[in-house]
Amino acid sequence: MRRVALGFILVMLAAACGGGGSSNNTAVTPKSGGTATIALESELRTLDPMDSSLLVEREVFYNMYDSLFTIDPSLAIKPGLVKTWDTSDPLNYKFTLQSGVKYQDGTAFNGASVKANIERYKTGATSRRKSDLGSVKTVEVTDDTHVIFHLIKPDATLLATLVDRAGMMVSMDAVSKGGANFSLAPTGAGSGPFEFVEWKRNDHLTLKKNPSYWRSGLPYLDGVTYKAIPDVNAILAALKTGDIDIARVIAGKDVASLKADSSFIYKDVPAIGFNGFELNAGAAPFNDPAKRQAVAMAIDRYSILKNINFNIGVVGYGPIPPSSWAFDSSEKIYDHADATKAKSTATGFTFTYKTTSDPVNQQLAQLMQSELAAAGITMQIQTEEFATYQQECANHQFQACGVSWSGRIDPDGNMYAWWHTGGSFNDSLYSNSQVDQWLDDARTNADQSKRKQDYDNAQKQIVQDAPYVFTTFGVSPQISNTKIHGFTLYPDLMIRMAEVWKG
Amino acid sequence: MTSYVLRRVLLMVPVAFLVTVGVFMLIHLSPGDPALIILGEDRTPQAVAQVHQEFGLDKPLYVQYLIWVGHIGHGDWGRSYTTHEPVFNAISDRLPATLELGIAALVWSLVVAIPLGTIAAVRRGSVADRVATGISVAGVSVPNFFIGIVLIYVLSVTARIFPFGGYVPITQDPWESLRHVILPAIALGTAGTAINMRFTRSSMIEVLNHDFIRTARAKGASWRRVVFVHALKNALIPVVTIVGLQIGGIIEGAVVTETVFTWPGVGRLAVESIFNRDYTVVQGVVLLAAFSYMLANLAVDLVYGWLDPRISYA
Repeated sequence: MRRVALGFILVMLAAACGGGGSSNNTAVTPKSGGTATIALESELRTLDPMDSSLLVEREVFYNMYDSLFTIDPSLAIKPGLVKTWDTSDPLNYKFTLQSGVKYQDGTAFNGASVKANIERYKTGATSRRKSDLGSVKTVEVTDDTHVIFHLIKPDATLLATLVDRAGMMVSMDAVSKGGANFSLAPTGAGSGPFEFVEWKRNDHLTLKKNPSYWRSGLPYLDGVTYKAIPDVNAILAALKTGDIDIARVIAGKDVASLKADSSFIYKDVPAIGFNGFELNAGAAPFNDPAKRQAVAMAIDRYSILKNINFNIGVVGYGPIPPSSWAFDSSEKIYDHADATKAKSTATGFTFTYKTTSDPVNQQLAQLMQSELAAAGITMQIQTEEFATYQQECANHQFQACGVSWSGRIDPDGNMYAWWHTGGSFNDSLYSNSQVDQWLDDARTNADQSKRKQDYDNAQKQIVQDAPYVFTTFGVSPQISNTKIHGFTLYPDLMIRMAEVWKG
Repeated sequence: MTSYVLRRVLLMVPVAFLVTVGVFMLIHLSPGDPALIILGEDRTPQAVAQVHQEFGLDKPLYVQYLIWVGHIGHGDWGRSYTTHEPVFNAISDRLPATLELGIAALVWSLVVAIPLGTIAAVRRGSVADRVATGISVAGVSVPNFFIGIVLIYVLSVTARIFPFGGYVPITQDPWESLRHVILPAIALGTAGTAINMRFTRSSMIEVLNHDFIRTARAKGASWRRVVFVHALKNALIPVVTIVGLQIGGIIEGAVVTETVFTWPGVGRLAVESIFNRDYTVVQGVVLLAAFSYMLANLAVDLVYGWLDPRISYA
């Protein structure tokens, strides 16, 4: 959940979307050579997709490992190591694999490797991928280039899940050679555009070009270096001094000046997460739905977007962001703040809002406090150290808790765990059998238009009931110097370096 | 002498035991769950239970303690919860950076403090004394992170004389290493400079009033020789005590400075591990810090004997 705090910084990132996720400088012929340095906003913990739970780790993985599936900038599922697929039978997904692909250590990627990887993720003692692959029963290898995923129950979200870590393929030879240190030094483990060289924790992580990458002609760069700089002001300083070429995040207050500076590029597209805060429906005062609704009515989303996020991103009305195919632009149940309506719904009560000591979180809390006061609602701010705050929110020991979500490619990932009865992120203890039914149906139904209907219904009900007050949607930015070309913006906040070149 | 050292080393055992209990209880009783931090957005009740089981966090606290102490007794410091890196390696990888910074800070503090303290003592009440006293009060009052930020702003960001943050191993490039270490060493060493100077001054004043100084002068030794040969060596005894503690405190003192200067040392490891509730790493770092204090104290007591032959270790 460290990502939650970091996700908030992302929210503050830049306005004026560059209009779609297309790459820049398309007319120029890409140049090979050179290396690029990228700042990460926190240090990694592992280089093994099996153990990973940090956003910044995925960032590095997408450049070392290949997944079974990929996405395009509109979040549509595209071929990865799986070339073509047949999901007409909802319990048996048939995949045809790319042929001739080798891992960086020279071993072959094939059906047996897919099976071994999925089994490792499903059964590994330290695997964090077990719930991702909960619907997969077994993988059957038909031959070197054909596998069948046998499912326990239909799972419309599986292909999107296999874009991320659960679908990242590693060489089993490299895993056994690496042993206990595999997660620290996965030499030759991936089949991706760059391969692992060295990782000095708290200093740098170096990747070099994979000369035999299966997508011919790629990558253009000779290498990529990551530097963990856990302070947004220091990241900006490093970008300006030329110590880094690309930043993933900067403080919202600095975006306007960077955009005005012709030696830098700033662009963004809508991201896939959401921001706001949860209200505990399992305890007083918010076990009274009217009080939750009054809070949702009294919050001024436009003021938060302007004053806290520097107009970077857009106002949020629900869990499904504008980047998603399931986005419902007509749902604006709680839009502009309405203190009068809030007062007539519920007023005169007090609650405590938990947050961390991050200055931006503090400003946000104070702004909301004053907005709620206009509706006669007293919000007390309780600032806690991250680990304490996280534990209390996860264990339902709160009345209101500021938590954001980095987002998932499939809408299921933005809703099921949060508001299905007993969901793993349902800190609010929200339960509505009708919502459960919609979410279950959307999870198993293969028909996308039916799924959209389910999500529209569920979203309306959840927003109306207000176990979570949605405030804003963030952006996925390109923040770099002008030497960087071929950069494609993806809504999932990941920087894919295979096609990036330096001029 | 040998038996004295042996006795002191044996005495470390009960102290170390108390330290292990203290650090274990402190970190385990503080709120926060390592499993939630490790899992982040991937938390599910099953995954949390799995992580608890993985690290034995589902066992009673005293059992967890006994397991940890038992492993330490066998030289196994355990593995980091968050990175799976062996704790011993995590610490030893970062130790050179911390030692380089600590030694540089100490050298800075002594090179400034001893001459200034001596001058202040010899010219008691003079302008030089007052300036030295002023510097020392300021040095000990201003927190080192603030000195660090000011140094970065003035000498690094504005004047661009020194690089801002980062570490270059001395074995890799001595010149770059020196350039990188100067600012954090000044930030870290300044408080020590102030304290060491005050100690040198007061001890020097006391020694200069002793009979043997008058005797040395009466024998015809020059004032310079009396101050720097006869007096200084005797005056340094209390300074050695305090410097010994400072050596022991290199790790502890570097926590904030390392964070300000993005210095990849043990201090930053400790901070990160505390925030991540990475129990095994925090315990390892604190234990190491405790041992370095104890060893530094022993070394100090041995240096006394060299400085003052009247002290015996019988």
